[in-house]
Amino acid sequence: MDARSMWDPWQEMRRLQREMEHLFADATPAWRWPLGGEYPPVNVTRGDNGLVLEAPCPGVDRRSLDVTVVGDAVTIRGERKAEEGVPEERYHRRERQLGSFSRTMGLGERLDAEHTRATYSSGILRLQLARAPEAMPKKITIQS
Amino acid sequence: MATTTTAPPAATRHEMFERATRTVSPRVDIYEIDKAYVLLADMPGVTPDGLDVEAERDTLTIRGHVERPSTPPDYQEFELADYQRVFTLTEDLDAANVTATLRDGVLRVEIPKSPLTQPKKIPVRTE
Repeated sequence: MDARSMWDPWQEMRRLQREMEHLFADATPAWRWPLGGEYPPVNVTRGDNGLVLEAPCPGVDRRSLDVTVVGDAVTIRGERKAEEGVPEERYHRRERQLGSFSRTMGLGERLDAEHTRATYSSGILRLQLARAPEAMPKKITIQS
Repeated sequence: MATTTTAPPAATRHEMFERATRTVSPRVDIYEIDKAYVLLADMPGVTPDGLDVEAERDTLTIRGHVERPSTPPDYQEFELADYQRVFTLTEDLDAANVTATLRDGVLRVEIPKSPLTQPKKIPVRTE
């Protein structure tokens, strides 16, 4: 998960896809994400006060949405359900990925599960992750 | 690693412009019920204020605006962009009575069939 040390083939594929879309901008609809890889895709921002993880996963049944934090790992689980009572033969087009998903990511820093906050708004899951006390930087006083 | 660049190179400026103007095509499901067609579109990041659904004669256009972060994330797998997709409607649809709802980043558009093409229940009498 550490962007500095891990080569992500899906990120490379997405970059290529974006370049292809640019080449055929007039002939094809705009690019669609995610192309592949694990669901949901995530962005991580590291700040002084902790980490923020954002994951777009629209239309998830809130009762199924589950976040766990263990050590440096975050697991996101949920389910995207089809509308009830619509038989398969009634569909003219099916592009949306539905079903259960589970994704675990190691973030490379020990996290404080007690102080993790999660919100789900406009189909984006947002986690505010606190660092474990032992992972916080400590100021060392220089003695003269 | 020291950087002394004061202005972004030309390629970066071009990419920034491209990102600012590009739209993505949302993934959709379309199904048919007796009186209408229902379209579901994944548009995470869109709020009701940023949503625009237009049905005019034979086209249905869905657009969604997303607020993008001011600073790029440290690790990135997705990039939000405005959504746009245009559908062609056939004559047997009632474009004037389209309804749209947005919930948890999923847009649901219901397009009624024209009253003329809706199945009519014919009562059968037994004698």
